[in-house]
Amino acid sequence: MAPAGTLRPVLTRGLLLAGLLAALAFPAVFTLPFPRHVMIMIFLYGALATAWNIIAGYCGQISLGQAVFFGIGAYTSSLLFRDAGMTPWAGMIAGVALAVGVSQVVGYPVFRLRGHYFAIATIAVGEIVQALVVDWDAIGGARGVFVPIRRPDSLVNFQFHQSKAFYYYIALGLLLLALAVTRRIERSRAGYYFRAIREDQDAAAALGVNVRREKLRALAVSAALTAMGGTFYAQYILFIDPESVFPLSLSILICLVAVLGGVGTLWGPVLGAAVLVPLQEGTRVMLGGTGKALDLLIYGALIIAISVFQPGGLMALLARARTAGSAR
Amino acid sequence: MKRIAAGLLAVLVLLVISAAGPAGVAAQPKEVVIGVLYPMSGPNAQPGIDNKPVIEIGADIANGAVDLPFPFYQKLKGMPGLKGAKIRLIFADHQGKPELGQAEAERLITQEKVHALVGCWHSGVTATASQVAERYGIPFLNPESSSPGLTRRGLKWFFRTSPHDEHFTQGMFEFFRDFEKKRGVKIATAGLTYDTSLFGADSGKVMKDLAKKYGVEVVLDLQYKERSTSLQSEVQRLKAANPDVWMPTSYQTDAILFVRTSKQLDYNPKMIMAQNAGHLSPDFIKAVGKEAEGTLSRAPFSTDLIAKRPVAAALNALYMKRHSKDLYDFPARSFTGFMTLLDAINRAGSTDPEAIRKALVATSIPGDQLIMTWEGIKFDETGQNTQVRAIIVQLQEGKYHTVWPWDSATREVLYPIPAWADRK
Repeated sequence: MAPAGTLRPVLTRGLLLAGLLAALAFPAVFTLPFPRHVMIMIFLYGALATAWNIIAGYCGQISLGQAVFFGIGAYTSSLLFRDAGMTPWAGMIAGVALAVGVSQVVGYPVFRLRGHYFAIATIAVGEIVQALVVDWDAIGGARGVFVPIRRPDSLVNFQFHQSKAFYYYIALGLLLLALAVTRRIERSRAGYYFRAIREDQDAAAALGVNVRREKLRALAVSAALTAMGGTFYAQYILFIDPESVFPLSLSILICLVAVLGGVGTLWGPVLGAAVLVPLQEGTRVMLGGTGKALDLLIYGALIIAISVFQPGGLMALLARARTAGSAR
Repeated sequence: MKRIAAGLLAVLVLLVISAAGPAGVAAQPKEVVIGVLYPMSGPNAQPGIDNKPVIEIGADIANGAVDLPFPFYQKLKGMPGLKGAKIRLIFADHQGKPELGQAEAERLITQEKVHALVGCWHSGVTATASQVAERYGIPFLNPESSSPGLTRRGLKWFFRTSPHDEHFTQGMFEFFRDFEKKRGVKIATAGLTYDTSLFGADSGKVMKDLAKKYGVEVVLDLQYKERSTSLQSEVQRLKAANPDVWMPTSYQTDAILFVRTSKQLDYNPKMIMAQNAGHLSPDFIKAVGKEAEGTLSRAPFSTDLIAKRPVAAALNALYMKRHSKDLYDFPARSFTGFMTLLDAINRAGSTDPEAIRKALVATSIPGDQLIMTWEGIKFDETGQNTQVRAIIVQLQEGKYHTVWPWDSATREVLYPIPAWADRK
């Protein structure tokens, strides 16, 4: 915290409360589906990036295979709902369990690798899993899965056709959960272990940190939150296929959101999502219909600009503004 | 504090303005707004980029800016059913992603207030976007997605003009029957080769089911590994089984290797009936176009039809002028679907969604007015056009020509394929 006396925490808390209230009141003010959709996407990507931040930001292990957990969450709940009639909420728990299981099985050998090699290995895992699902006929293969539509809207079926408000609050809840978990980790013993591993793995090991176990724990938490996001996505879109829930581009987007906002900070990923998602949606809505890919050009240029001028992300930009302010 | 209050006020003012929106609907609509969802950017953008001009031509025909001198299109000129209401198009890009298709469909319906939607090429995107249309009760016309499941979801607002994958394969077997009658030959046995990809597996399954239905005995049912380095044993087994027709499903590299290996091992099939894909790819024709002489394949539309069908020729001239490209399968199907929708809106005489839906259900367009070689357009209760027809093309002198249905054919079927020993 900056040296600003006792006023700052109060101010910060007030700001957070105001933000939360604004988020809660948003659907009451904006009744059109599209603004709500944009907010839902901000919450979803914010939550996914927050989950990524736990393994990559705090523990320093750059995972580019998060789509694996996302896809597992999406497929598990959808298939259980379609074939066994199980409520997607139970499916979400099953998806979390499966994703955590897979994260441990995959993590055990892959965590032997460090730095770039670890990142490359996670890309490979992601590609392998996607290829497996494409060829797996029993779960729909490349054709994907239609989540059966159930009417009327119900919380049990996790489907709301009349209004997006429910989806909105569930997505918000998901983001708050991810933030709460991160906050908790930040202040716990495990959080210090994670950061010790990030700073210097060998030094951490020398001090008695069980490096592999801690890494696996970080990955498990990250996988669980990501899988929950997957279930949410499947129930929101009601159609999933390997191309939409298992692609490398999703893993990279998750990473991009967090990096843009600020890696290793609590609010960075949320901030990144709040900037990136509206930017993406806005440029597409305004320019996407031209067929000249202008939207993607602008989107790409802005990302390049931020990474060149502020590699620490938007949080670093804020911190700089703050220190500049208090120095004066 | 003051600043925050001012900011809040500004937000409130904006909200009030945006909530007011355009005033109520007039009794006689002045314009018809149609949302068009296609991939316009990203790796799969080609269909969207090639379809956009043909959709614009369609709108221009209805708005009286362009003339297509055939009765069906003349009838739509100036949209007499709506007393000259103008067609306004809103294009949206979904980049081939189901989630964007959903978001854009929702935005077009709720914010742009479109009266109908057209799209989306990718089956997966069509799936999510049409669910949104169903939810809001807005007619959705799909001109081209080929996944059979799309019309089996029990949707009320979904209509597909194009054939799906099963129709295509059915066309091949109907061709066999017609050909037997015409030439007095027997096509009693088939040898199937298909790869382990999803496309291959699906194709193999449909072919086996239909062979049984049409009484063709499958004497060889061979699934091989995609992108093989050698297909010697596969060709040996074909040679031993010697079916009346060899039916390969392959992507490009395997298709080329099959031809080369057949030549090497002197395998002489009398008839080859390929399942599109590799056998129709430009690189296949470039690499082994001469050796593969006589290969038949199913196709939805073939460029040589343009010369034979006056409607297609007229549209091609318009398309060429605007897009400097010949009409081909994608824009041809897109145009057909779009005009079907305009016809329904014109007959509905209103932009009321339910009236448009009812008019779509009652659609009946004769085949001779279409760009495609179908018998016409009529929807069954699932929203699938039942009058579709696949065409069969054959590789002759390095180019694919339409050989079936007989009334669309530009060439006679070459049969049997000359043996390797008899070729120069």
